[in-house]
Amino acid sequence: MSYEITLMTTMAISVLFALSLNFITGFCGQISLGHAAFLGAGAYTSAMLSKAAVPFLFTIPAAAICAAMLGAIIGLASLRVRHDFLAITTMGVGFLFVGIIRQQDFFGGEIGIAGIPSSGFGKVGFMLICIALALIFAAFSLYIRRSWMGFVFKSIADNEDVTRVLGIDVSRYKLIAFIIGTGTAGVAGALYAHHFRFVGPDSFGFVESISVLAMVIVGGIGSVWGVIFAAALLSVLPMLVQFIDDYKLLFYSGLLFAMMRFSPDGIAGLCNRLFSSIPRRVPGNSGDKR
Amino acid sequence: MKKAKIISAVVMSGLLSIATGHASSIKIGFNVPLTGFAAADGKSALNGAELAVEQANAAGGINGDSIVLVVYDDQASPKEAVPIAQKLIEKDEVVAAISGSYSGSTRAAAGIFQEAGVPYIAAYAVHPDITRAGNYVFRTSFVGEVQGRAGAKLIGETLGAKKVSVITLKNDFGKSLAAGLKQAASNYGITIVSEYEYGIKDRQFGPIVSKVKSDKPDAIYATGYFFTAGPLVSQLRAAGITVPIIGQEGYDSQKFIDIAGPAAEGTIITTSLNRDSASSETKNFIREFESKTGNKADMVAASAHTAVKVIVAAMRQSGSTDKAALRNAISATSVVAATGTISFNALGEVRKDVQVQIVKDGNWHEHSVISDSKLLAPPNE
Amino acid sequence: MLYLELFIQGLVQGSIYALIALGLTLVYGLLRILHVAHAALFTLGGYIGVIVTNATGSFTLAMLVAMLVVGFAGMLMYKLAYEPLLSQPPYVSLIASIALFIASEEIFRIAFGPYGLSYQIPPLQGHIELFSGFYLKYAEILVMGLSTVLMIALAWLSMRTRTGVAWRATVTDPDMARAFGVKIQNVRYLNFFIGSSFAAAAGVLVALLNNLVEPTMGSVASYKALAIIVLGGLGSIRGTLIASLLLGVLESFGTIYIGHLLDRDAIAFAFLILVLMIRPQGLMGGKL
Repeated sequence: MSYEITLMTTMAISVLFALSLNFITGFCGQISLGHAAFLGAGAYTSAMLSKAAVPFLFTIPAAAICAAMLGAIIGLASLRVRHDFLAITTMGVGFLFVGIIRQQDFFGGEIGIAGIPSSGFGKVGFMLICIALALIFAAFSLYIRRSWMGFVFKSIADNEDVTRVLGIDVSRYKLIAFIIGTGTAGVAGALYAHHFRFVGPDSFGFVESISVLAMVIVGGIGSVWGVIFAAALLSVLPMLVQFIDDYKLLFYSGLLFAMMRFSPDGIAGLCNRLFSSIPRRVPGNSGDKR
Repeated sequence: MKKAKIISAVVMSGLLSIATGHASSIKIGFNVPLTGFAAADGKSALNGAELAVEQANAAGGINGDSIVLVVYDDQASPKEAVPIAQKLIEKDEVVAAISGSYSGSTRAAAGIFQEAGVPYIAAYAVHPDITRAGNYVFRTSFVGEVQGRAGAKLIGETLGAKKVSVITLKNDFGKSLAAGLKQAASNYGITIVSEYEYGIKDRQFGPIVSKVKSDKPDAIYATGYFFTAGPLVSQLRAAGITVPIIGQEGYDSQKFIDIAGPAAEGTIITTSLNRDSASSETKNFIREFESKTGNKADMVAASAHTAVKVIVAAMRQSGSTDKAALRNAISATSVVAATGTISFNALGEVRKDVQVQIVKDGNWHEHSVISDSKLLAPPNE
Repeated sequence: MLYLELFIQGLVQGSIYALIALGLTLVYGLLRILHVAHAALFTLGGYIGVIVTNATGSFTLAMLVAMLVVGFAGMLMYKLAYEPLLSQPPYVSLIASIALFIASEEIFRIAFGPYGLSYQIPPLQGHIELFSGFYLKYAEILVMGLSTVLMIALAWLSMRTRTGVAWRATVTDPDMARAFGVKIQNVRYLNFFIGSSFAAAAGVLVALLNNLVEPTMGSVASYKALAIIVLGGLGSIRGTLIASLLLGVLESFGTIYIGHLLDRDAIAFAFLILVLMIRPQGLMGGKL
């Protein structure tokens, strides 16, 4: 039973993390290849506070704020660049984050921070907290999607210029998306730190950013249920099936490639196409000349 | 539909009961890098451990029960090591575990094992904090600082060099070794004229090589693993630098010599495996390892072999698989193994001599031995 | 003296970056795809170089074989991976490319083993002494020489031959070019062939400099090459060249003098982000 609890906790944290990226990339169409940096910002904040005897629950908002502040800065920078440039800039942010953390002994340097204290709620209690937070954010995502803000996000994702012409303050909404998405990633980071009891620069590198992006894409960009399903599945599959664990990277990347090739709108898109006759459009920038 | 469900349920439970395996085997966990940058060391360590398990089982196992090594690939990444530790403890329910991996992952996993009360032995990882995780964690090799201090004595006394340039790999391994060197440097009349750092992915050392050349040291103390040291040493020699280059156990592999080629000649390292040792344990190990794998023995294989031997000896001693009893038996153990005589102090650290090896005619050979017990005293807390 | 050495090393490293980044910028200029998987071709070139040299003893043959084989591999990659995705939004091909790259690292590991390969008898290991204490390895001279030759060949091809003109026309305006009878498909194949074979050359040279090819040797190259082409201005060949050499030299001095602040790789990205904030189209980029 103990192992199952560990798996459920890992799943819940991954779902929360993936949903936070879905908010930025899925809802608002801003591609981010460095999202793990915000997970890391939250994780390190929470870890260091916890080791300084701050109670676990208080580290969560601190982690969220720290990640969101970083997210705001990145968000502001992202306003100047688009699409491909944005992708590369966010990738660069990810590398910079890891590169700086690595060098500063204050953050534990290369070695990271080990011996992070337990959350104090016991294994089951901690699992319930993670699941609760994941569910809360999922509900929040669903709510936003149906709201005016969600509508604006979708509009920006589809065609930014037209949205601007309509008189909407695109920059403000992009920034909001970034702040909410990165702040939530920070929360996921705090949970991560107390689940794995260790944080290091390698935990939040490019591969992590791609992994979480894979979860969002395989699930179906923008689809809350799809992302939940994909994140839950992909996060624990390697631990359940040993063969997949050995070839984890090959499996993930192969799956991702197959998805892109045959169903870029992910599992959600597949389901939509299977169960309805209305073709679903891939959200993205229309009017691109090739 | 219902029939199919019943049949599949029966089949599943049948499979499950088969899968739980023999009740009479004793499981030892083993986390080791089998993919990623450290894969070569991992494969070697795994071979060493497997050899030890085979030998133990051939000698009757533990009172008739056979030993099974439960192996997971941690990619030398702390991020991977933690779920693996959780898996070993909760799913496989191992009685003890060994780390055949580097310091980063070992340190991350150690905390998990300590909290679960499962004895954990680090075969060759050097970071001091590993054993500080608690009394269930042991180490069969030197702490980084101790090896670094030995390096200072080697350079200052044995080689008589006074001005040293230090090239440090930017991770716990490299940094702890450099720290040890610097600690003891003044005792042996050594001045560190310069220090440079590099990352584990670097293979091009042009700028550092140029700068070191202009520093004109009497010796170079360079930390790294064979895949960084190989290119580094080759580039240092190609730039016309002829002073001695001193490395550590990270170089200890035939692959280092393969990569650096003729430039490897004369490289000196501090390590735990003496290829020319007179000890029968070591000689047997080297011989058996080479016949089992077809590869030359190296430090990581010897260390993993040693770690398994320690656990097996302790299990035979304690007579039970109760983890607390096993921990006590390990703590009180004294075993002669391929890397020397192993016994632990209160912190779980081992006290043994440092072997110094040199590359001669394309192979590692004995150079000298450092056995200053005060210098090599491991940390006690 | 030291500065001169650092500078030359920077140029050597920059030449390698240039060979790799060029392929990337060629693909982007033509198809607007960020071809991250390009680095897999770089690695493949390195492996072929070592394997052929070890098997036949001839480094020259190895270089030719590597460039040819990988050139075709690049074309194949375009046909199988990118062509079907041309009608999708840009992030689809980017993600597909990243996925392809990660998969390729694994495939190399499975096919060639995780330990890496080395030359049995490394060629060109000697050096010449230019003046007191300043050594230049033959291999380093080859890197700079070969890159220059290849660049000049490329320039000649694109400026002075019909194929080159057709190619440049397709980049500027595919529809017009098609109207003039240019076979777009062939232009694309040529594009990938050249870019990939240059990457292969870079791979063989890096294998020569380090005497080691590993499955993961492409990862650093891929991210840096991306930073370089963005820095230079996406699609601008001249910008890419300048950015490559500039970055090579910057890293060379940076590792010594600001190495304690920033990882070597982070230097590239820090510089990139800095430039993009001031000039979002890159150093030589055109309209955004």
